[in-house]
Amino acid sequence: MTNDQDFREEVRAWLNANCPESQRRPIVREEQIWAGKHSVFPSQDARQWFEAMRDRGWTAPEWPTEYGGGGLNPGQARILQQEMARLNCRPPLYDMGLWMLGPALLAYGNEEQKATHIPPIVRGEVRWAQGYSEPSAGSDLASLKTRADDAGDHFLVNGTKIWTTRADVADWIFCLVRTDQKAPKQQGISFLLIDMESEGISTAPIKLISGESEFCQTFFDNVRVPKANLVGELNGGWAVAKELLKHERKLMGTMESITEKVDVGLVELARSYLPVDDNDRLVDTELRARISQHLMNDEAMALLNERMFYQHKAGKADPRLPMLVKHLGTSELQRKDELILRILGTDGLSWESTQTDQSVHRMVRNWAYDKAHTIAGGTSEIQLNIIAKRGLGLPD
Amino acid sequence: MVLNEEQQLLSDTISNFLDEHAPTEALRALRDTPNGPAWSDELWQQLCEMGVPSAAQPEAEGGLGFGWMGLGAVLEQMGRRLTVSPLLSSVVFAGSVIRNCGSDAQRERWLARIMDGTLIATVAFQERKHFHSRPLLREAEDGSLSGEKKLVMAASKAELLLVTALRKNGDLGIAALSQNEAGITITEELLFDGNRYATVNLQNVHVSEEQWLVGDNTNEGFTTALNHATLALCAEMMGGARELLDRTVVYLAEREQFGVKIGSFQALQHRCAQAYCQLELAESAVLAALSDADRNLLVTSDQVSRAKAMAGDVYEHISNEAVQLHGGMGVTDEMDIGLFLKRSRVCNQLFGDAHWHRERFATLRGF
Repeated sequence: MTNDQDFREEVRAWLNANCPESQRRPIVREEQIWAGKHSVFPSQDARQWFEAMRDRGWTAPEWPTEYGGGGLNPGQARILQQEMARLNCRPPLYDMGLWMLGPALLAYGNEEQKATHIPPIVRGEVRWAQGYSEPSAGSDLASLKTRADDAGDHFLVNGTKIWTTRADVADWIFCLVRTDQKAPKQQGISFLLIDMESEGISTAPIKLISGESEFCQTFFDNVRVPKANLVGELNGGWAVAKELLKHERKLMGTMESITEKVDVGLVELARSYLPVDDNDRLVDTELRARISQHLMNDEAMALLNERMFYQHKAGKADPRLPMLVKHLGTSELQRKDELILRILGTDGLSWESTQTDQSVHRMVRNWAYDKAHTIAGGTSEIQLNIIAKRGLGLPD
Repeated sequence: MVLNEEQQLLSDTISNFLDEHAPTEALRALRDTPNGPAWSDELWQQLCEMGVPSAAQPEAEGGLGFGWMGLGAVLEQMGRRLTVSPLLSSVVFAGSVIRNCGSDAQRERWLARIMDGTLIATVAFQERKHFHSRPLLREAEDGSLSGEKKLVMAASKAELLLVTALRKNGDLGIAALSQNEAGITITEELLFDGNRYATVNLQNVHVSEEQWLVGDNTNEGFTTALNHATLALCAEMMGGARELLDRTVVYLAEREQFGVKIGSFQALQHRCAQAYCQLELAESAVLAALSDADRNLLVTSDQVSRAKAMAGDVYEHISNEAVQLHGGMGVTDEMDIGLFLKRSRVCNQLFGDAHWHRERFATLRGF
């Protein structure tokens, strides 16, 4: 316990010394630092903050130090997270490799793959994209058709992937591909790492209802992939995929903390847009109650995560609780977006205007963008299937 | 937020004990005995011998030292079986009122006997049909009290009634009265949860100065006691909600229609999964408040409101779902489901419903 306290004090002092003031504000989408060779730093401060964290391995706090990670135990990682939250420190690095591939590679990759791919992820040198869904394989992911055929010393990949986040600027992509056409569908799938500079890959952005084009469709036309890039067993990719999905769902359940925070709190926003009485209370009692309910749920989400942490620490982890996080977190985020839209009134209908504040436009676009959260990474309906069958044990 | 080994053992022990001595049939027996007792003295005696009333109390004060988390686990087990006892009304609520609002001498006089279960005390606070924490009853110029308190738990067996009233100067006061006091009439009533509550009528009841609790800050002390009682009730409610969902899942996995188990239908699976999500979310809020009470020896009002609003909503929701998913059986008195449905509604009103707590939460958070 004293060790934890020492560590906390050390972290606090270090963050105070190394996190510039400008990096202690809620993150906005334009200033996120994404990994890879197209990486752009919005300011010198942002670069300095990223580099300081990278050099301590704290871009990936819990990964082993031999691959450049921070080597922290879960308790220490949590302290780091708490201290960063206390100072409002921005996340130093954004990357799917960091959030999803890394943990799966640490679990399933061979020594060479770990040594090759993990350190560049920690250092933010490579931006990863995810090649899971296909136009005809969404919730039924295992029906995917992109194929990798054995061509002697390499695989030949043909097919298409969809919802590949920023594949147009990604350096590498991790893909699920079919390597056995005859096996039952889950058993003919392999997990491949593919260099986006390989010949035969092309991408096309998809415009979303938020007006953004974060997602792409990615096409593979006779792409040669070295056999060394196969992660896990041949035809054993489904296990790797599931490990990775666990991390994705955990992440999406706490999306708000890593993506964009609305600059103003819901309460302040409501007070600035709507009438208040002499005691500064919202006159609209129905809205008050709904904001109360949202805040309670939001806080309880954090408490659920805390409870899982303590269960884990006590060696009494309830395996059902992690199944709930994605559905609960994403639907609560959407409820918040709807409240924001209601509070904004006609401002919330604005799409392009010089008279409306930038931050308002961002909130409106988030409202539209966040609709994707209950779909991507396993729809809420799929989550509920999992909870019912594997959590509650209801019959097939 | 996780039970330690000792607390888990306590929970298991109570669970086994209640299975044997106080399953839901015990509630039915109380309910179906005309003018019967509010609870079984024999059961209470046994619980006292096990040390249940002093479960939360630190060992240094003569308790078992299981803390709020331990007490919460006991109440959750009671909630699973709808056990009727004065644990919440006398030990938690009245005990906390005396601890937080009484003088040293008053604590000395009553607390030990409340905590070992030999003295039953209760708090009479609500006067209107809807929950309110501040009394309307006011001390008359001659120092007497006249008025009526509703929904008083454990009143018929309580030796000591703690009656909230405004003093002459407008401050909150709590009068510690014997139920035999001249001018007090207690009328017991069976509510639909099978529990007996009373209306306490006071007609020119003279209260001498030494009968008023005289702690440092009655207002703050009473808020704390109310928070304690509310939190304890939340633990009971979570037990009830969890029991209902467990029973419903078992039923869906057994019941066949159209040649298959109805639990294989996605529409029903999703309703259970949704209910389970809400259950664990609310449970997290309740456990956080309980473990904070252990860590900081303090529960804050916003934490309690968060827990009660969420527990109230989820118990109500799950009880409705449980009735519907049990089909025709769900509306029979033979099944226990209806007992839980009714208990959930009583729990919701006790100490303020979900809406009341959302309102208080908003006020505490400054909007």
